Amino acid sequence: MTDPKDFVAVVDSDVRKTPRRIAFITKRTSPQVHVKDEERVMTYPEVFFRTAVAIQVLAIILVVISLRWNAPLEGLADPMHTPNPAKAPWYFLGLQELLHYFPPVVAGVLIPGLVVMALIVIPYFNINIEAEGLWLRDKTRRLRIFGTVVVLFCIFLAVFDVWVALVPTLIVAAFMLLAAQTPPQITRGFRGWLASKPLSFWIMTWFLFELVVLTAIGTFFRGPGWSWVWPWRT
Amino acid sequence: MKNNLHALWQLFFGDSARAFGSASVILLVLLAVAPAKNYFSEWRHYQKQYLHLIRGRADAVTLERHFQGGIQQIWIPEQQVTDRCTTCHLGMKEASLADVNSVAFREHPVIPHKLTEFGCTTCHRGQGAATTVEEAHSATEQWEQPLLPAKYIEAGCGQCHLENQTGTPFLNQGRQLIVSYGCTHCHTIKQGDGIYLTPDDDPPSLKHIADKTTREWVYAWIKDPQAYAGTATMPNYHLNDDDARDVSAFILAQSTPLEPPLQPLKADTKAPADPAAGTSLYGQSFCASCHAMQNAAGMMVGGNVGPELTGIGTKAKPEWLQDWVGNPSHYDPGTMMPHYRFDAQQVVTLTGFLESKTEPDFIANVHLDPATPEQIEHGKRLVVENGCASCHDINGIKKPENFAPELSRIGSKPLNQLIFVEGVEHSLPGYVAGKVRNPRAFGPSLKMPQFKFTPQQIDAVTTALLALTDRAQSQPPTMRIASVQQTRYQPAGNAGQLMRDLRCFTCHMINGHGGDMAPDLTWEGTAVQREWLTQFLKNPETLRPALIRRMPKFNLTDAEINTLADYMMTVYQTPEFDRDSLPVSQFNPAQVEQGRQLFYSKFACQSCHIADYKNDKGYIGPALAATGKRFNAAWVYHWLKDPQALRPGTIEPNQHMTDDDARSLTAFLMSLKSGGAQEATKK
Amino acid sequence: MANTLDRLADQVRENRIWRSIFRSGTGESNLHRALTVQQNVFLHLFSVKARKRTLEFRATWYLGALTFGTFLILVITGILLMLYYHPSVPQAYADMKDLQFVVSSGVFLRNLHRWSAHAMVFLVFAHMFKVFYRGAYRPPREFNWVIGVVLLLMTLLLSYTGYLLPWDQLAFWAVTVGSNIASAVPVIGAKMRFLMLGGTAVNANALLRFYVLHCVILPFAAVVLIAIHFWRIRKDGGIYPGESPAEGDAK
Repeated sequence: MTDPKDFVAVVDSDVRKTPRRIAFITKRTSPQVHVKDEERVMTYPEVFFRTAVAIQVLAIILVVISLRWNAPLEGLADPMHTPNPAKAPWYFLGLQELLHYFPPVVAGVLIPGLVVMALIVIPYFNINIEAEGLWLRDKTRRLRIFGTVVVLFCIFLAVFDVWVALVPTLIVAAFMLLAAQTPPQITRGFRGWLASKPLSFWIMTWFLFELVVLTAIGTFFRGPGWSWVWPWRT
Repeated sequence: MKNNLHALWQLFFGDSARAFGSASVILLVLLAVAPAKNYFSEWRHYQKQYLHLIRGRADAVTLERHFQGGIQQIWIPEQQVTDRCTTCHLGMKEASLADVNSVAFREHPVIPHKLTEFGCTTCHRGQGAATTVEEAHSATEQWEQPLLPAKYIEAGCGQCHLENQTGTPFLNQGRQLIVSYGCTHCHTIKQGDGIYLTPDDDPPSLKHIADKTTREWVYAWIKDPQAYAGTATMPNYHLNDDDARDVSAFILAQSTPLEPPLQPLKADTKAPADPAAGTSLYGQSFCASCHAMQNAAGMMVGGNVGPELTGIGTKAKPEWLQDWVGNPSHYDPGTMMPHYRFDAQQVVTLTGFLESKTEPDFIANVHLDPATPEQIEHGKRLVVENGCASCHDINGIKKPENFAPELSRIGSKPLNQLIFVEGVEHSLPGYVAGKVRNPRAFGPSLKMPQFKFTPQQIDAVTTALLALTDRAQSQPPTMRIASVQQTRYQPAGNAGQLMRDLRCFTCHMINGHGGDMAPDLTWEGTAVQREWLTQFLKNPETLRPALIRRMPKFNLTDAEINTLADYMMTVYQTPEFDRDSLPVSQFNPAQVEQGRQLFYSKFACQSCHIADYKNDKGYIGPALAATGKRFNAAWVYHWLKDPQALRPGTIEPNQHMTDDDARSLTAFLMSLKSGGAQEATKK
Repeated sequence: MANTLDRLADQVRENRIWRSIFRSGTGESNLHRALTVQQNVFLHLFSVKARKRTLEFRATWYLGALTFGTFLILVITGILLMLYYHPSVPQAYADMKDLQFVVSSGVFLRNLHRWSAHAMVFLVFAHMFKVFYRGAYRPPREFNWVIGVVLLLMTLLLSYTGYLLPWDQLAFWAVTVGSNIASAVPVIGAKMRFLMLGGTAVNANALLRFYVLHCVILPFAAVVLIAIHFWRIRKDGGIYPGESPAEGDAK
C-alpha cells in the first residue's frame, strides 16, 4: 500500500483548526481533493438533547417491557438437580454450541481468544483502510486462494460435524463468488455494492452471521442433552 | 387534519429541547405506573373484600379490631417458613367465621397445631412467600410445589408423623400398602428419621419351587397372579406367552431338590377318609386366622397373614403339602407359619382337605412343551431384566441393588425431572398416582409391573409417597414423631427355641417384637395364673369363640407346655409390682359386695363387659366372668387403677378410682370363677 | 402562560445559587453554550461543536449513546436493588422472592435491571458492528476501538457476574457451565476457575465474589473506561463523519 503508484497520502497541516486527518487518494479517484469546512452545531444544546431524547426513548421502551414481562426466576439453586439442558446466558450460547462440537480447549479458550485478539488488532493492520473491492484486482490469484481456504475450512467443519457453522460459511462464500462474478462495469445496485466490498467486510460479515446463527441455535433449538428441538413444538 | 397533527408534533417534538421535555414527561408517567400497579395489587383487593364481609356481621367490631392491614407474614426461620398466606386468608383464627362460604376467609378447621408455630406451607405446600393467588397456589415456572390437593392433605402430616395416627387413615393405609405390597424390595425408601422402610410381604423363595408346584401353574401364575387368587400381592408383569413360557422354564430349571428330600405320599392320603374331618381340623387349627379361603357362597373368609388357600390343591403338589403341614420350616426356614404338632393321621386329613381345594380352570388351557436350553437361557435373562430376584430368592441370581429409583424424596421431585404422558395430570400428585395406577403407561420399556390396587388404595399410596419430602428429610429432629420400631428381641433357651418353632411372634408382641394380631405378652407372667396358662396352652380353642382369628391349638406335649409356662411366668413380669402382692385371701365378702355395687352402678362396667352371662350384655370389652381363675389380683388392681400404664393405647378408660374402690372391684372380679367356659380375656 | 413559565425559569437561572453552580449563565449565544460544555465536568469530555452530519440517525444509529443509556439505567436500578439484596446462601434467593412479592415496585426494579442488562449486551455488540461497517475504527481512532473491545468484554463480565446473584437454578447452572469453560484453559485453567469462584464449586464464596465484582470492581472499571472512551472520541476528531467527505459535500 505504500506503493506510490497506487495512491498518495496527504496530511492536513492545520492540526490546530481541525483534527488531523489522512486522505488516501487512489488512482481511480480524482486527484483534486475538495476540502471544505463542514457545517457544525453546538454540542449544547443540540447533541446533548438529541442524545438525551434517544436515551429516554430507549428507557421508555425498557420501562414498558419491564412493566409487562417479568424477569425469569426459577427455583432455588440446587447443586443436586442439574436442569437439562443447563444453558449459559444467551450471549454465551454461541460458544456453548461450539463446545458441543469441539473440545473445551478449542471452543472455550482458543476460539474466543482468537476472536478477541482479532478484534483488537483490526485497526493496527490497516485492515479495510484501502476499502477496495476484494475482486477488483488480481482476481484469478485471489480466487484461487479464496477457493483453497474455503474448501479446507469447510472440510474441517464437516469433519467435526459442525453443519450449523458450515451453512453460514457456504452462504457467505456464495455471495463472495457472486461478487467475484460481477463484471467491472456494474457499479450500482446490489451486485455493484457487493463487488465494492473489501476482504475485511466479508470476514466480519461471516463472523456476524456465524455469531447470530450459533447464538440463535443455542437459544432456541437446543433441548435436553443439547439435542436438536424445534421451538414451536413444545 | 394532517396539518393539525403536524402542528401537534411540532409543539411537542419540534426541536430537541421540546422533544426532551415531552419524552421526560412520558418517561415519568410510565415510571409512576409501577407504584400504581403495586397499589392495586391483588392482596389489597382481598383485604377490602374481607373488610366488606366482616362489616356486615354481628361481631364486626371485634373482627375489625383483629384485622391488620398490609402484608402479613408467619416467619419461622428454622423451618424455612415465610408464609404470607394470612395476608389474604384473614379469617384463619376467627372462630365466628366458621360458617363463611368463601374458603379464602373461613376459619381454619381446628387442628392440634398453632398457625404461628407451623405456618401454612409446612402442611399445605404452595409458595408461602407469594402474595398473588396464582403464584401462591399453583405450580409456576418459579415454584414447583403447588398447593397439595385436598385428597392428599394427609401427606402433609406424614412429613413429621411417622407413627400411625387416628386422624390420618389414608396415610396409614398407604404406608401399610407400601410395606405389604413389597414396594421397598425394589425402591429404597429412607424416612426422615433415617430408618429404611422394610417390606413385610415375605415373598417365597423359589430355590426349591419344583418340589412345590408345576411349571404349568408357574406359567399361569406369572401371566396373571390375581386370576389364581384375588388377594395375591404379586404384581402383573404383562408377559407375553413366549416370555411366560421361558420364565417358567427357567424358574423350574433353577430349582434344586429340598434337603432332605420330600417324603413320598402316604398311601392312604390319596383318598381322605372323611371330608368333614378335614373341614373340622382346618377349623380347629384356626388356619383361618391367617389364611383366607372362599366358602361355598363365594365369600372370602379368613385372615391375610398367609396366602389365600382357595385353589391350593391346583397349586401345590400333594407331597409338598404333606411336608408343609407336617413342618413348614423344612421347606421355608423363614416362614411365619407355626409348626403344628399334627399326628400322622391329622397330616393326612389336612393334606387331603387342602388337596381338594382346586381351581382346575386356572391351568386348564396351559400346555407347555418341554423347555429347550435356549428358552431357559432367555427366561433367565428375563428374570434378571425384570428384577424377580429383588423379591424372590432364585438360585444363581443375586438380588439386584438399586433396581428401581429411590423414593425417599419423591414428594419433592421437581416437575422438570419427570416425564409425563398423555392422560396423566401435569402435577406431582398426578404423576405419582399415575405411576401407581398404571406404570407401563409411561412407556412400554419400563420395568415396573402392574399392581392391583383399588382407586382408593392408589390415593392412599400416593398420599404416603407424597409425604416423603425434602422437608421431611431436612427438618430438625425435634419436629419428628417417630414410628414405633420393632425391637430385635428374641427369647432365650429351650423356651425360646420352642416359641420360635411355634412362631409366637407372628401374632403376639413381646418386648416390642412381634405382630399385633394377638395380645401383647410382655407382662403375661404377672397378669395370669400359671394353672390357667397351662390349661390354655393345652386347649386354647375355647377362648373368644366369636372371632375368626383365634389362638390355634398346637397339640403341644405336657413337657413343652411346662417349658413355655415356666419361662413365661418367670420372665414376662413387670418390674412395677409383685404379682403376689395382693393375695385373694385378703378380700372379705363385704368388699366383694361393695365391688359388685361399684361394677353395676358407679362405674357401670356392664355396659362393655360381662360378669354374669345370664344378665349382662356388654360386648365391647372382653367377658370377665372367669377373671378369678385367670388373672392375679395384683394385676387386676393395677389395671383398674391405670389401664394405660400396663397397656398403652388400650381403650379401657382410666376411671381414676380411689384405692378402696379399686380394691373392692378387684375383690368382686376375683370372685368370678364361672365354671366350664373360661370366658375372660385380658382385654 | 408561556411567558410566566419563561419568566419563572429565568428567575431560577438568574438566582445566585443557580449561578454558583452553572456559571455560564442563560445566554443564547454560542459563547454561553460553549461555556456550558466546557465548565461542566461531565460534558467537557465532549468537544464544544460537532459535525452536523454525525448527528444524523443513519450515521451512528445512536448505538453508543443508547449503550451508555442502558448503563445509566443499570447503575440506578442496581444501586436500588443493592438495598434489598444479601449476597449469602440461601438468603439471596429469598430476597428475590421478597422483591417480587413484598418490596414496593421491587419486581419492576428487578425487571428493569434484568432487561436493561440484556439490552446493553445486545447494544454493545450492535455498536461494535456498526462502527466496523462504517470503518470508524481506522486511525486515528484505533485505540478507541481497542477500548471499545475491552468495554465489550467488561459488559459481558458484568452481565455474567450479575447472572449468578439471584441464586436460582438458572443462575447456578449458567455460571457452572461458564466456569467449567474457564477450567479448559491449559495449565492454569483449574487455578483460574478456583480464583474466579473462590473455591472448587459454585457456592457461597462464588456468590460473594461475583457480588463484589458485579457491584464494585467491574462497574468502577467500566466507568473509567467509558470516560476514556468518550474523551477519545473528542481527541480523535469527533464522531467519525463517514467514508467520503466529498459525498457529504455533494448534498
